[in-house]
Amino acid sequence: MKKQSRFGGRLFIGLTFLFLYLPIFLLIVFSFNAGDSSAVWKGFSLEWYSALFHNRLIMESLYTTLLVSLLATAVATAAGTFAAIGLYSLSKRRRDALLVVNDIPMMNADIVTGVSLCLFFVAFFQGWGAFAQWLNEQGWLPFQLPVRLTLGFATMLLAHIAFNIPYVILNVAPKLRQMDKNLVDAAQDLGCTWMQAFWKVILPEIKPGIVSGALIAFTMSIDDFVISYFTAGSATSTLAMRIYSMTKKRITPEVNAVSTLLFLSVLALLVLNNVREIRQERRADRQEVREPSFFERLSMRLSQPSWRWVRRGGLAAAACAFVAVVALLTGATWSQPVVNVCSWGEYIDEDLIIQFEEETGTRVNYQTAESNEALYSLLKSGGADYDVIVPSDYMISQLIEEGMLEELDYSQIPNFELIDRRFRNLPYDPENKYTVPYTWGTLGIIYNANMVDEEPTTWGALYDDRYAGNVLLINNSRDALAAALFHLGYSVNTTDEAQIREAFELVADANRRGVFQGKVMDQVFQKMEGGNAAIATYYAGDYLSMADNQAEGVDLRFVIPEEGGNWFVDAMCVLKDAPHYDDAMEWINFIASTKANLANMDYIWYASPNKEALEQYPAYYEEEYGEELDPELYQIMAAPADVLERCEMYTVLPPETRALYNELWIQLGT
Amino acid sequence: MSKELIRLSDCVMSYGDEVVLDHINLYINDKEFLTLLGPSGCGKTTTLRIIGGFLSPTAGDVLFDGVRINDVPPHKRAVNTVFQRYALFPHLNVFENVAFGLRIPKGDANGRKVKLPEQEIHGRVMEMLETVNLKGFEKRPVSALSGGQQQRVAIARALVNRPRVLLLDEPLGALDMRLRKDMQNELKRIQQEMEITFIYVTHDQEEALAMSDTVVVMDGGRIQQIGTPEDIYNEPKNAFVADFIGESNIIDGVMRADGVVEIFNRRFQCLDKGFEKDEPVDVVIRPEDVDIVDEAAGQLKGTVTSVTFKGVHYDTIVDFYGFKWLIQTTDYCPVDSRIGIKIDPDGIHVMKKSAYSGMFGDYSSYSEEYEELDVVEDEPEEGEGDAPWEGGHEE
Repeated sequence: MKKQSRFGGRLFIGLTFLFLYLPIFLLIVFSFNAGDSSAVWKGFSLEWYSALFHNRLIMESLYTTLLVSLLATAVATAAGTFAAIGLYSLSKRRRDALLVVNDIPMMNADIVTGVSLCLFFVAFFQGWGAFAQWLNEQGWLPFQLPVRLTLGFATMLLAHIAFNIPYVILNVAPKLRQMDKNLVDAAQDLGCTWMQAFWKVILPEIKPGIVSGALIAFTMSIDDFVISYFTAGSATSTLAMRIYSMTKKRITPEVNAVSTLLFLSVLALLVLNNVREIRQERRADRQEVREPSFFERLSMRLSQPSWRWVRRGGLAAAACAFVAVVALLTGATWSQPVVNVCSWGEYIDEDLIIQFEEETGTRVNYQTAESNEALYSLLKSGGADYDVIVPSDYMISQLIEEGMLEELDYSQIPNFELIDRRFRNLPYDPENKYTVPYTWGTLGIIYNANMVDEEPTTWGALYDDRYAGNVLLINNSRDALAAALFHLGYSVNTTDEAQIREAFELVADANRRGVFQGKVMDQVFQKMEGGNAAIATYYAGDYLSMADNQAEGVDLRFVIPEEGGNWFVDAMCVLKDAPHYDDAMEWINFIASTKANLANMDYIWYASPNKEALEQYPAYYEEEYGEELDPELYQIMAAPADVLERCEMYTVLPPETRALYNELWIQLGT
Repeated sequence: MSKELIRLSDCVMSYGDEVVLDHINLYINDKEFLTLLGPSGCGKTTTLRIIGGFLSPTAGDVLFDGVRINDVPPHKRAVNTVFQRYALFPHLNVFENVAFGLRIPKGDANGRKVKLPEQEIHGRVMEMLETVNLKGFEKRPVSALSGGQQQRVAIARALVNRPRVLLLDEPLGALDMRLRKDMQNELKRIQQEMEITFIYVTHDQEEALAMSDTVVVMDGGRIQQIGTPEDIYNEPKNAFVADFIGESNIIDGVMRADGVVEIFNRRFQCLDKGFEKDEPVDVVIRPEDVDIVDEAAGQLKGTVTSVTFKGVHYDTIVDFYGFKWLIQTTDYCPVDSRIGIKIDPDGIHVMKKSAYSGMFGDYSSYSEEYEELDVVEDEPEEGEGDAPWEGGHEE
């Protein structure tokens, strides 16, 4: 009986740890996978680690992460230490109350901290803007104050400092409590000022607490995603934010590799901290006289008066070196011309960024947004300072309507001439004053041929009971209702409420009958590739990448149904008051070139609007991969004219129709 | 008589409504060994901390050599302190602990910061370690030392700075009995050798009597009596002092005339004069001043209720008309035996009635009282413990 229960207990512990660590173990294993599947083991390889170190975006965000963590740790450690000392000079009742207050930010949800800090910064910037403008008008200062401040590295650093301080206080406070309070009196009695007593007595006594506080703060900083996300603004990304944007579509093994490294470094920091603490405890237990370590001997040697000059020189040199490195790294990026680009995840061949930088000397700050709607709200909040954005057609017309875009200077964009006439003067920008197309594509049905009886050539297949539980509904009201509107033979841009309600009823009815497995956006990749669903609505370019990654026994196909489908254009635009207008023109011109279009088309498998690139792609493919491009795939990628004929482009809907869409979509539930 | 060095004039210390020091007036002479004696919470440590500069009095002046030093921070006072639990720096070894004060640069006559040469530091530290019998311990970490050795380090660390005054806050409190006796002699020797002023805080009256030139008895934030150990013992000013210093039987009496005091309706000869006729007084009779005689020959007659062997003498508790006396005698009287006592005129001390009258002197609760007095003051006094660095911030 007893034995059994002990076995049960062990099993329980084993399962708990398995549950905790198996996912991380899998992540580590798959970071060494030779293939790019995240489910099938194809042999050992370090290729993802090497790709990682050659990925400029990741290395850049790694640098940002390290810089913000180091600076935030340094400042928070100093501030937290003094705060803790201050707390200990208060009466016990007030100190305990304040220590509880200190605990709250640590217990508080990161999201609340993040949002509130973001709100605070934005409010401050607004106040500052008014103040700076007023001051500039007075002309009292010999220089002009910047009027427009935005979220960026500085705000993120402040946020990190703010959330790190409580951890430092938490670690330093117990050491202060343990410290004989007479020590400070004794030091002052022996001739120290308070500050001298701090350096000579308090600091050595509470050093273990300070070090572990700093280590925890550093770990927290490196680790943080949510607070950084809300305070970093548009032009700065930490490693965690970069990983997040990389996982939007599919978890690539590169993400596994970088996550593994992140996990290992945080683990190393924690182990280091624990080992240190255990050692100290043991030493305290034995009260043993310890042989001084190398560093302690060195510091003892340095503290001899005869070494004073070495010591001062060394300190000064270290300080200079630190300042120089920081100045070099930040200064280099400041003095360089820069262009801030916001696009979608996995939507550019990153070699192009490097090429552009080498050719022009202008640095590209490349960021990504999640969706047109997210981009729109980011722009509206004033938290972004992008130059170039790449929204979709319907969003472009809305932005133009609201006067948020700047007209382009086409004389600086000679490559615009290479854009196919079909993709100029489209309804969203009839006079083509604001946009240069980036890609175009179609929305259709992706299906697993092994899970359907016949090719689903009509949108009706989405509502067919035969596929009950195997249809993925796209989690986007516009696309989901578009399919139904097509099926009913209506325009996707209809504003007729009856038609829209009829289309909605079609979807809602199918939903009640349990046809849909769920509403998905990016999960569609994993579901379809793994053969977990039969039919989904998605974009042609994404179909190609799914087909490339499909598991064994899965046969993915793409079709634009008879009733027609949606086709879209994503185009580059420049925001009003863009800080780097000319650099933006240079970037747009570069991306519009045939060379860049070919590279992008090959990388993201969305069709190019560049006439030459579109025509040359099959030849380019053959040259790159040594085999012919399947014409069927090419046609899916770049829909031929007759298919495009059947397709309809979204236009921006009037507000009341958008409201109707929203209302209906909420009715549908999850 | 040597000259006055420190004066506290009308010093008041209060925290809100709580008055910790109530108009203290006190002067301390150069090269004097002065002890502040009193129970927990009497204000003695607060007084010491005011002299050390860790506290600033709420009202009143602190004068050093005639100069007001209320606002002079501790590090600028020619005073060093030996703290209650030594407060040695755990991260430094014995040598560095002692050298700590010497390594702090001091302003010279021109206000420039000057560091002592290493050779001088070494010489002074080694000399000091020799004085406190710690030669050969320089390299030891302080955590590896015994209590007595740590105590010596603390003394050396303070004295090496050649202060004019050394403040000692219950320095022997944490030591065992034997060590305490040795250290008492040692401290006295050091004080005489170095010819500096010691201000010593203790709650142990034996310690105070054995070491001091002057004893200041304090209670409730007030000075109860200042005097030589002999004065304090032989001529206590009130029932509190009489009770706190040594053992005392304190009995209600009435002065019938100069040199005649009535106790338990019997008249005794005494040496005290100058009271009103028939004035109620407190009468102190030390236990060793009572002679036990046959019941018939006694001025007072009573019954023995308890006898405790103390080595040199017996502590005998005798019940006189319901009031219990302590008598120290070499004669053994068995419990329940009837005895008489005689008291010589110089064994009777008459005191004016005070706030303390009637609070002490009955040995019914004999054993408990003993224990109470022996409790070492563990808790810091007067709430100052909550603000360890207050002194530093105040300046």
